[in-house]
Amino acid sequence: MSAATIQAPSRPPRTKVRRRRSGAGIHIALITIVAVGLLPYLFVLTTSVKTNEQFATSYWAPSFPLHFENYGTAWNQIAPFMLVSVVVAAVSIVGIVALSLLSGYVFARFQFPGRRFFFTMVIALLMVPSIASLIPLFVMMRDLDLLNTLWVLIIPRIAGGAVLGTILMKTFIEGIPQELFDAARVDGAGAGRLFRSIMLPLSLPVVGTVSLLTVIGVWNDFFWPLLTVTDNALKPVSVGLLFFRGQAGTDYGAMFAGYMIASLPLLLLFLFLSKYFLAGIQGGLPGSH
Amino acid sequence: MAIQTPDRVVPDAMVITADTRPPKRRPRRRSISWGAYLGLVPLAVMLGVFCYYPAASGIFHSFWNWNPGGESTFIGFDNYSAMMGDQLWWESFKNLGIIFVFGVVSWVIPLAAAELLISLRSERAQFVYRTLLIVPMAFPGVVTALIWSFLYQPNDGVINTFLTSIGLESLAQNWLGDPHLALLSLLFIGFPFIAGLPFLMFYSTLQNIPKEIFEACSLDGVNRMQRLFLIDLPLMGRQLQLLLVLVVIETLQYGFVAYILTSGGPDNATTVPVLHMLSEAFNGGNWGYAAALSTTLFVLTIVFSTIVALAKRRDSTTNVKGM
Repeated sequence: MSAATIQAPSRPPRTKVRRRRSGAGIHIALITIVAVGLLPYLFVLTTSVKTNEQFATSYWAPSFPLHFENYGTAWNQIAPFMLVSVVVAAVSIVGIVALSLLSGYVFARFQFPGRRFFFTMVIALLMVPSIASLIPLFVMMRDLDLLNTLWVLIIPRIAGGAVLGTILMKTFIEGIPQELFDAARVDGAGAGRLFRSIMLPLSLPVVGTVSLLTVIGVWNDFFWPLLTVTDNALKPVSVGLLFFRGQAGTDYGAMFAGYMIASLPLLLLFLFLSKYFLAGIQGGLPGSH
Repeated sequence: MAIQTPDRVVPDAMVITADTRPPKRRPRRRSISWGAYLGLVPLAVMLGVFCYYPAASGIFHSFWNWNPGGESTFIGFDNYSAMMGDQLWWESFKNLGIIFVFGVVSWVIPLAAAELLISLRSERAQFVYRTLLIVPMAFPGVVTALIWSFLYQPNDGVINTFLTSIGLESLAQNWLGDPHLALLSLLFIGFPFIAGLPFLMFYSTLQNIPKEIFEACSLDGVNRMQRLFLIDLPLMGRQLQLLLVLVVIETLQYGFVAYILTSGGPDNATTVPVLHMLSEAFNGGNWGYAAALSTTLFVLTIVFSTIVALAKRRDSTTNVKGM
């Protein structure tokens, strides 16, 4: 005891000094990296509330008064694109969740010949890059006369999203204890009731992940809408921004305000659902949970 | 006690039912299984029509002089032999090679950031820094590309303005318009490259290394660099291997940033396979040839994805069951 009390006072100061030294260096390095990474976005944010004159006179520093009307101008031009993206994402989420809940449930809870084969067929599609089937899919959509409709954006997304959705759902449903299902069955619940009263409420986390993935996908999809939708009223935000940039010309304030508005939905999702957001980006890769 | 008794009874009941049920269950399962097929019909239709059919159609038509809406003629391997002699196609792969190498080399920065982050003692500080470091991930890819296209602008752009303001006007360049600089400029988009999968994987692997190992190291007087090469990197081996293949696949699909910033120019300096394929189809009307190019990309991706799947199967940390 006495040895410990004697040693104790002499040691802590040393380690503290060491910690502070290395700690400060680490903090400075990390702050520098964070700053470099965020600087372009901060520049855009400050410029988005400047008029062109303010931009010309004070290029770097924020300048007052802040012109929030830039956001109004940008919103008027960007709102239609945002609406298209929201509609596409919402309809796709409903379709993907319905499809993958149903098929994930079937794969996880039923034994039938060919189960393994069908599931392998689903997994195999993970390996088909979207870019590889872009051209034949385009020709197909043209033959179906679906170009320049919302369906051309929605249907392939549902088909693509249902692949990962089914796999995630199956894995998740397999993790639900069989006892729950047995208990419900004993109480006289049929397959439909099991689905509605047990599966649906329990699978909400996966529904969340799938929804987030879909929103991120819609907001980032570029070539498909670029090629299939030429009607400006039906362009989603990713492609609409290009058109918007052309229109804004050299009105940088409004242009950057538009970029910020277009990013806002994903930023909010990231802020409030960070865990799901990262899980979604990593798509169930090792270390994602 | 009153609550516990039912639980104790249940196992007995289970044993009894387990003996009596199986003969009953089997016929039940068989009758249910038709419902299972019925439940899979919507998925099968969606995937069959919108995933499998286009992929098959692309491969099929790569052997044709494909003329959608008109008459197509079978030409065997002509599209593929044309591809072998396509200068621009090979040049686009040379660019892909550069993009790939640059992508791998750029992991140094996320790795360094992950190492710095892990050596912070406060969990809270770690969380704050991690969040700030990956915020750029939350921006849509198109927005990031558009912002960087502004940074690179020759007149009002941030980079040239900055160089001018610190008196290095001579270094100001037409970043995207110069064939020697355009590809490099594209590659630097997203600098310092931390907001992405590599950083998250490095960080989570380092987090999972038991603290005792690090402590043992510091007791033995192993310095930071030695620890990185002797302990951290070997323990990250599997993740690095997986990342490597993922980067290959990602690189094969590289395209939209180049489309937005340079459209493959100037002088085709930034052309990539995806852009070449799209321009053959939509500008040149050579649908069969474009199908052959896309089939080639498809096969390359399949080859590398198979390697990923094998690496994943050996990896016990995979979350997807049944693969």
